[in-house]
Amino acid sequence: MKLKHSLFTRRQFLNGLFGGWITALLATFIYPVVKFIFPAYREPDEVILLFSDFEGMAPGSVKRFPWGSKPGILKKNDDGTYLAFVGVCTHLDCNVAYLPEQKKFFCACHDGWYDEYGTNIGGPPAHPLRRLVVEIAAPDLIIKREDVE
Amino acid sequence: MKNWPKELSIWLDDRFGLSAITQFLKEKPVPQHKHSIWLYTGSAILLFFVIQVVTGFMLILYYKPTLDAANASVARIMTEVPLGWIIRSVHSWSSTFMIAFVFIHLISIWLTKSYRKPREITWMSGVFLLACSLVFGFTGYLLPWDDLSLSATKVGTDIPRSIPVVGAWVTKLLRGGGDVTGDTLTRFFGIHVCILPIFIFLLLAIHVYLIQKKGMSIPLDAETRNEDVPTIPFWPNFVYREMVVWLVLVGILFSIAIVFPPSLDKQADLMAAAPEGVKPEWYFLFLFQTLKIFPAKILFVNGDSVAVLIMLLAGLFIFFLPVIDNKPTERKGKIITALGYVLVVYALIMSVWSLL
Repeated sequence: MKLKHSLFTRRQFLNGLFGGWITALLATFIYPVVKFIFPAYREPDEVILLFSDFEGMAPGSVKRFPWGSKPGILKKNDDGTYLAFVGVCTHLDCNVAYLPEQKKFFCACHDGWYDEYGTNIGGPPAHPLRRLVVEIAAPDLIIKREDVE
Repeated sequence: MKNWPKELSIWLDDRFGLSAITQFLKEKPVPQHKHSIWLYTGSAILLFFVIQVVTGFMLILYYKPTLDAANASVARIMTEVPLGWIIRSVHSWSSTFMIAFVFIHLISIWLTKSYRKPREITWMSGVFLLACSLVFGFTGYLLPWDDLSLSATKVGTDIPRSIPVVGAWVTKLLRGGGDVTGDTLTRFFGIHVCILPIFIFLLLAIHVYLIQKKGMSIPLDAETRNEDVPTIPFWPNFVYREMVVWLVLVGILFSIAIVFPPSLDKQADLMAAAPEGVKPEWYFLFLFQTLKIFPAKILFVNGDSVAVLIMLLAGLFIFFLPVIDNKPTERKGKIITALGYVLVVYALIMSVWSLL
């Protein structure tokens, strides 16, 4: 039925009303669903470790520490200074190993190689290992993201 | 009451009207020609799929999808649960057989050009079924939660990151966060036992319905040489032949499953370095090797981004094959056929290379 002055029939009006209502309702449902299935993830700004756990490391050796849910790698250089890396390959995210006799980091997944400073030198990785900042404030060993003040 | 089974079936038929279906199956002709052997690959897939469902239901009774318990629960299935080892072995081997037959099925249809009009959607639903099977394999590989499965999953879930715009979101969606953790395990378990089964049953229904609706395709060279291709009825003649094939396949499957049960490594350690010799399941080896041989940089672009883009385009090409090769049935379309062979040869060479 359509009134003389109306732009719509009653059926069109009701379809639009109910259609709009259902669409709006679905949209309000979708937002929480999306929020739910994509959990918020933030990597840590810094982790604080006990320096005494790492003090006795032999020069040229590495020790692992948890960097959020990734492995962090602390390396003691020959001159006694420390370097820290996020220990995952920049190619496809596998955890890397350090080979002390070759002074290289190695990713077994696709044969990726990095030198002792984390620079990519062979295989598929296109970027160096991610560096972290090491601060020694005894008794703490503070390891920070590079962009954190 | 003497003839009660027959009376019961008549009584049920009055209510359900199933005789229309049995009548259809009796009358449904199955063409017999030199390429008929490929017709058995479809039902072989179905056979292994049913075995997967049954053994999967059994494994769920003991499997625990959490970070601390997953590996130990699989170890328990292998060592303590009565005959658990063989159930897991059959589940693992049957997945291999199923995917192998999915590949054979796809290539046979590609080479005989059975995807052409009016069977485009049958093909496309088949490509989705292939994707479902691969995701089943991929998610199932993580569930034992050992070192190898962790590394394979880290790589597999990181690959989408190279896709522009949506990639990072896909990775996050798959992992349930920025990294592969216990949440990923639970998520993969949910996908493996709940979400994928719904999709695969839906797709199977569409696929099988379309095959009934459009009938069997008759390959080009089988048709031109003989105008009247002989046929046999689907029920019971063709089904009996299929049963012979199933019997042989089940025999092979169980023999292999008993002699070569799958291994289980020590529990995955999120902090440990990837073990040497990380390899995905055999059906991903050719993709794995492709990723390995791409250099770090191609001009100014990351090598793996290029590799992933090429894989994505190849996937789209396969999906849209019936639209791309939409010539009438009598045209041969040799380039597309040749591409089918190229794909097979490429996959074989890359897979073998990855094992060297």
